[in-house]
Amino acid sequence: MSEFYPFGNRAGLRTTFSLGMGFVIFFAVVPAAAVIAISLTDIRGLPGIPVNWVGIENYVTFFSGAKLGYNVHALWNTLIFAFSVTIFQNFFALMIAVALSTKLRGRTFYRAVVFMPTVLGVTVIGLIWSLIFNPSAGPGATIWSWFGADSAFFGDQKIAMALVIFVQVWAGLGLAVVIFLAGIQAIPEELYECASIDGASGRKKLRHITVPLLAPSFTANVLLCIVGSLQSYQLAYVLTGPNNPATQVLSLAIFTQAFGGGTSSGSVASQGYAGAISMVQFVIVGIISVAVLLYLRRQEAKT
Amino acid sequence: MTTLVSAKPANRVEPSSGKNRRRPRRGLFSSGKLVSYVFIFVIMVLYLFPLGFLMNTALKSTAAFNQDPVGLTTSFQWGNFAEAWQKGHFRAYFLNSVLYTGAATIINTVVSLVVGFPVSRGYVRHPRLWYGIFVAMLFLPNALMTQFQLVLRMNLYDTALGYILIMASGLGVGPLLLVGYIKSVPKEMDEAAALDGAGYWRFLFTFLPPLIKPVLATIFILQAIGVWNDIILATILLPDSAKSPITLGLFAFQGTYTSQWGLLASATMIVAAPLVVAYVFLQRYLVGGVAGSVKG
Repeated sequence: MSEFYPFGNRAGLRTTFSLGMGFVIFFAVVPAAAVIAISLTDIRGLPGIPVNWVGIENYVTFFSGAKLGYNVHALWNTLIFAFSVTIFQNFFALMIAVALSTKLRGRTFYRAVVFMPTVLGVTVIGLIWSLIFNPSAGPGATIWSWFGADSAFFGDQKIAMALVIFVQVWAGLGLAVVIFLAGIQAIPEELYECASIDGASGRKKLRHITVPLLAPSFTANVLLCIVGSLQSYQLAYVLTGPNNPATQVLSLAIFTQAFGGGTSSGSVASQGYAGAISMVQFVIVGIISVAVLLYLRRQEAKT
Repeated sequence: MTTLVSAKPANRVEPSSGKNRRRPRRGLFSSGKLVSYVFIFVIMVLYLFPLGFLMNTALKSTAAFNQDPVGLTTSFQWGNFAEAWQKGHFRAYFLNSVLYTGAATIINTVVSLVVGFPVSRGYVRHPRLWYGIFVAMLFLPNALMTQFQLVLRMNLYDTALGYILIMASGLGVGPLLLVGYIKSVPKEMDEAAALDGAGYWRFLFTFLPPLIKPVLATIFILQAIGVWNDIILATILLPDSAKSPITLGLFAFQGTYTSQWGLLASATMIVAAPLVVAYVFLQRYLVGGVAGSVKG
């Protein structure tokens, strides 16, 4: 492969490539790999405290009676969050992308609007929606009152998770729409023209041309979304705080274990135990994403 | 909001550049199109209402908000912005964020370029393996603890440098987008530049960037969004509030002025404004960059 190289001297290439990769490996890859190592120690968030090798003790703690209930609950929340977000986000993103691909007037503008939350970021989005779902007064409370109901919204254990899922879908839709639109634009126009000549209706064209040919974009979107949402917790952190049981997901548990989340344990928090949670989560993410990938690939081959 | 105004000219151009095919004569809208319009209208309300409500609240005084939180504002309290800016010490936070975002994003984009280009061209051995590594890097486990320990042990804890280095090292999809996009630049360009006597570095840093502007802009803005909006790593690595980025400033502001929604909404808009402005200018590159890389 590397025979063709027009620039003569390879020294320049070698220098920049190894500097670049070295930088990334040192600050991102090595720390990620080192999570396994620290999960076997009792390392803490303070310098100068001796670090002891404890073997699999952290993992035993994770699955022990005292913690198991809490951890299963966090795992369950994570799965509900990830699967709901993935399903709703991809469903609506596909609908929007298909609608926008039908040459609507002003579609570039609609696309820009839907993409906007991607730019705004977690803190801003969090504040916007806490403003809307302000329990004492706000549009959310007004709408609830039409049905004679009131709610503490993000403070309500029953619906906090549903609201966080809603806001996450709202925030993440834009990128998925852009990926679907790119996929739709790559479908040759002739296919639709042929189908029209054969008398296919709009809905038939959607089912037999657009959806099957979008399969690769669909796989990419679903995979990105499921991996992202299995690991995401920033929105739950901003909207409901670090210690809300209703929205406690595994990643948030890692954060609160390792850094105290501002309230309880503080800097003595065990980062070794947090490392163990992180590894358990990594394995779960790995299993689910490989399973989803294999399933979607098989579907792609079928159509 | 500003985007609404400035995004418009771009979409005016697009329909006319498409093929001038005659529409089937079924009135103004076919039924399918009507459904699309209604659906998109509902989506637009879901997206524009929260932003409009934020703006409306930002222009209300606390008294007016308490009286009628949902109604349109009658007196325009532009002073809210100045007050929030002052009370929240946003000047200092803003400058911190500009420094972090600027430095981390530039490093990040350059690194994506220097590792992505040779892999795309096959100038390094085993390009497929390197590409696989770029993909694998997206799926790394949560490494907050170890990155914290690394920074701590390098004596960079609570320093701007430590934070910038960690933020810059998260490449995300950058190299992948770049590898995809560079495939659309013919290899003959490399040869021609080399024949003209350009070395590798000169080609990489002066000839190539203008040719791949859309993807560089995409990487730059995606990364800038990520750094500007980060709260987690900043919480962990920068405990000194004088070094806080603007997002943490906003978070602290929210804690202090809990019920003063006018001020809080103004502060939120102050934090969002720079990215929204950058997005308006770069959005045509952004979509082109993503689309171009996916196709390649």
